[in-house]
Amino acid sequence: MRKLLDGIYVASGFLSALLIAGICLLVTTQVMLNLITKTGLIDTGLTIPSYADFAGYMLAASSFLALAYTLVCGGHIRVNLVLNVLPARLRLAVDVAAHVIGACVAGYAAFYMYRLTLESYEFGDMSSGIVAIPLYIPQSSLLVGLVVLTIALIDLTVQTIRLGGPIGVDQMNTE
Amino acid sequence: MSDILTITLLFVTLLVLLGAGVWVAFSLILTGALGMMLLSNAPIGPILATTLWGHSTSWALAALPMFILMGEILLRSRLSQDMFTGLSPWLRRLPGRLLHVNVFGCAIFAAVSGSSAATAATIGKMSVPELTERGYPVNMVLGTLAGSATLGLLIPPSIILIVYGVATEQSIARLFVAGILPGLMLVALFAAYVIAYALFNPSRIPQDSDDDMPFLAKLKATGRLIPVLLLITGVIGSIYIGIASPTDAAAVGVVLAVVLSWAGNSLSWAMLKDSLLGATVTSCMIAFILVGAAFLSVSMGFTGIPRHLAAWIAGMELSPYALLAALTVLFVLLGCFLDGISVVVLTTSIIMPMILEAGIDPLWFGIYLVIVVEMSQITPPVGFNLFVIQGLTGFNILRIALAALPFFLLLLLAVALITLIPGIATYLPSLMDN
Repeated sequence: MRKLLDGIYVASGFLSALLIAGICLLVTTQVMLNLITKTGLIDTGLTIPSYADFAGYMLAASSFLALAYTLVCGGHIRVNLVLNVLPARLRLAVDVAAHVIGACVAGYAAFYMYRLTLESYEFGDMSSGIVAIPLYIPQSSLLVGLVVLTIALIDLTVQTIRLGGPIGVDQMNTE
Repeated sequence: MSDILTITLLFVTLLVLLGAGVWVAFSLILTGALGMMLLSNAPIGPILATTLWGHSTSWALAALPMFILMGEILLRSRLSQDMFTGLSPWLRRLPGRLLHVNVFGCAIFAAVSGSSAATAATIGKMSVPELTERGYPVNMVLGTLAGSATLGLLIPPSIILIVYGVATEQSIARLFVAGILPGLMLVALFAAYVIAYALFNPSRIPQDSDDDMPFLAKLKATGRLIPVLLLITGVIGSIYIGIASPTDAAAVGVVLAVVLSWAGNSLSWAMLKDSLLGATVTSCMIAFILVGAAFLSVSMGFTGIPRHLAAWIAGMELSPYALLAALTVLFVLLGCFLDGISVVVLTTSIIMPMILEAGIDPLWFGIYLVIVVEMSQITPPVGFNLFVIQGLTGFNILRIALAALPFFLLLLLAVALITLIPGIATYLPSLMDN
């Protein structure tokens, strides 16, 4: 179970990283095509259709798929100032409460993202660019990211209670 | 009067959530949801979903992971080692000698990376041991490093200006260009302070003998820095001339950074993978806070609170100077407890209407906000640069904050200067229109 969960976080993190590399290649290719067009060797302008839209979708997918990975790496910002001065038992209680609140918000967002994605699917909403793709495809990447984030927060909550203290990054990432 | 009660309740809720260690993005979303629940009948869940979707797919925001990735790759190349050997031969002649390595090293690295914590860590790793070993006064070593590293926020490409630009729908290219002159002005102020310190305390600046390097040797030592400088000039220059959007320039910058580190023999698959994952985590963290803040903005729009605040402030008929002075105090206080990005997104969701109402140029306000946030990086108890330098040197953060105090005051002076002479920020972008 531990291995499976960590595997999911790391895999979605790697996928996000690949998407960022993808944005870089996509945009660079378009810049090269612009340069070729400027030299005047070819009459028509070379453009990757809807490349700005695709870069945006890849960015959104990357940001949301990395949520859980960033969480377990300790990358998301939270204020530790008060937590650090609390007595140990109270600190544990507040820390668990913070995790539960996080899990609830993430779950709530995931549920409504599911509804939005389902609506786009049922109404057959398409993106507005030259190359129109069904909107539910990029939207479901956000949904997956939020679901994995919710799982990761529940996972962290359980571990915090079990270990009776804050989870260190090294304890989480067994990779 | 129930309005004021609700605003207070929301503010207290936000502070309690943040204080309890709830992640910033979740705190923003919850506060927004509470506001909508209390003051409007709008459906919270569906609006949350459309906001998350609508605000995460922007083309301008794609510049964020690109610039972070470029910084991560250059950070892992030999840049920081080259910085010390490349800069020190030229700076020995200035009063204050090698202390200037901190100032100029940070300025150059700030142009590579958009983050001040990364700037402090990279430059400090090299300069702190070198300078303390040579007997430079510890307070000045710590102070120049903590102060100058804040330049990472202002000198383009600046992550925090991308955040501000995306959140307020300002042109990121114009914001970058607006940051150039104030950034150079800060470099000049910091260097002038070091020079003044050295002139008043000549005995504290060690005089080492390895002075006279022949000119060619100096040039050779600097040689490896030059490609990086060219890369940065190219990236910023192409944005300034208008032939590339920040996203385009950043993506090409990433490819060129890979080429540079390949030429410098520091490229490997492991290094590339680390850079990519590092950039993924940082940009995910920022994007998450941004969408949380976007939801807070949208929900605040439903509640009408920012409009009321703006009307309230307008009713007091403050001069813009008085308003800015009050805001500066507020931001410095907020910045004592919150990180810079959170301060910026809170500002943009709640007090932007107030700023526009007061007739303040949002482009100029972005630069002002960044300098104030820079100040918050070196104020205890939460100052990211202080944490980084504490990690590097083992000194207590209060000690480091005290050493950085002169630089805090210099930043305050810079705020006063751009307020009195707004052209420092707005002149260069005004040229871009033609």
